[in-house]
Amino acid sequence: MHSSHPLELFPGRTVTLMLFKCVRNPAELRRSAMGGQITAALINPRMLVDPFQVIVAANKAVHLQTIGKMKTRSLNSEIIFNLSPTNNISEAFKRFGISDADDSVLVVLVATGDESQTLADIKEKVDGEQVPMEELPTLSDVTQIRKLYKVTPQEEKMGGLLDSVVCKMATKDVM
Amino acid sequence: MELEKNMVVSEFLSKGSVLKQGAEARVYRDVFLGRSTIIKERFPKKYRHPLLDEKLTHRRTVQEVRSIQRCRRAGIPTPVVYFVDYTSHCIFLEDIVDSVTVRDHIAATRQRSHPSPTLVPLEPLAARVGRVLARMHDEDVVHGDLTTSNMLLRRSGDGEAELSLVLIDFGLSYISALPEDKGVDLYVLEKAFLSTHPNTEPLFQKLLESYAASSKKSSAVIKKLDEVRLRGRKRSMVG
Ligand SMILES: Nc1ncnc2c1ncn2[C@@H]1O[C@H](COP(=O)(O)OP(=O)(O)OP(=O)(O)O)[C@@H](O)[C@H]1O
Repeated sequence: MHSSHPLELFPGRTVTLMLFKCVRNPAELRRSAMGGQITAALINPRMLVDPFQVIVAANKAVHLQTIGKMKTRSLNSEIIFNLSPTNNISEAFKRFGISDADDSVLVVLVATGDESQTLADIKEKVDGEQVPMEELPTLSDVTQIRKLYKVTPQEEKMGGLLDSVVCKMATKDVM
Repeated sequence: MELEKNMVVSEFLSKGSVLKQGAEARVYRDVFLGRSTIIKERFPKKYRHPLLDEKLTHRRTVQEVRSIQRCRRAGIPTPVVYFVDYTSHCIFLEDIVDSVTVRDHIAATRQRSHPSPTLVPLEPLAARVGRVLARMHDEDVVHGDLTTSNMLLRRSGDGEAELSLVLIDFGLSYISALPEDKGVDLYVLEKAFLSTHPNTEPLFQKLLESYAASSKKSSAVIKKLDEVRLRGRKRSMVG
């Protein structure tokens, strides 16, 4: 039920996404991610419009890792940081990282080659219900997204919320 | 190391199709993150000092990205930025699919009205361009390279009335509130417009009228435009 997306700039690398709801062990998952037992980014889906948003963040993270210019300590935290509209790292984690009170989580795994074992291991650790990516919109909070990304009505009217969010993410380092 | 860094993108681009080879940049179309994407790559100019060149190229890339975001925030259609690689000076942009340049649209429309030439069908478009440029200038974005090739028309519904105007190529753009800068922006367009589309003076007039009517700050800009025109004429009389 996961979805995989190739990163064309980095042949062989893919971004794999798994979505879970009714998660009962968020605190444990967060600890495992911090301790390195889970080697994926665990994201709270409330601020996500579409999987594309995450893929854009992952591509930028791999790029910055490749040129040695990450702003955070790991690829997974860099993905979380890239989702944020601001350059404040702790704020990014607060908004996009999984917290102990969350009951849904998006698992983002950047892999080279066969990642099926890693996916199975992560699935094992999540005490929750895996759902198709199509359910992402039912977990997001559009009002909060507009506010966080400061999307103006005229901007949203022109190209939609996803376009506005992605452009904000991609341009934040020079604004 | 520097070379290695740039390999990633150049490998990728070598497989894409080149849309346009300009003096400063190459434009490609390829699939990126699953979407049809336009990639604009600025390459080094051999005759410039490498350090200066790097600085200038970087600045152009940054300016382009900034102006695009500034326009979008104000609801002025420009392509979405998906990704920027500041080491290889590449901007990955939304492909405005199913679009034609205003240049081609004007040429095709005039072709169709031949042999009884009329500019009337193009007046709504001229008015729309004027309105969009007025809004862009009200945001203090000066485009720097206004031509009818740097404006795309995208079909957003059915029928002519539904064509939406998208501004592209902000590589020479900058932020300025000065009427002079905006006047020069319009002057550049006027020159390009009338040389690309001969005998369309009434059409450009329509564009300016619409610009003037759409912006509260337009009278100072039009005044500057008149001054710049006069200077231009004097210069050409001397030279
Ligand atoms: N986002 C886009 N969607 C669709 N087509 C595009 C897009 N961007 C550019 N193009 C096409 O590519 C052409 C060249 O693009 P652009 O003007 O940005 O490049 P440039 O090399 O800077 O050009 P110039 O020589 O005018 O400065 C455009 O005229 C248009 O036909």
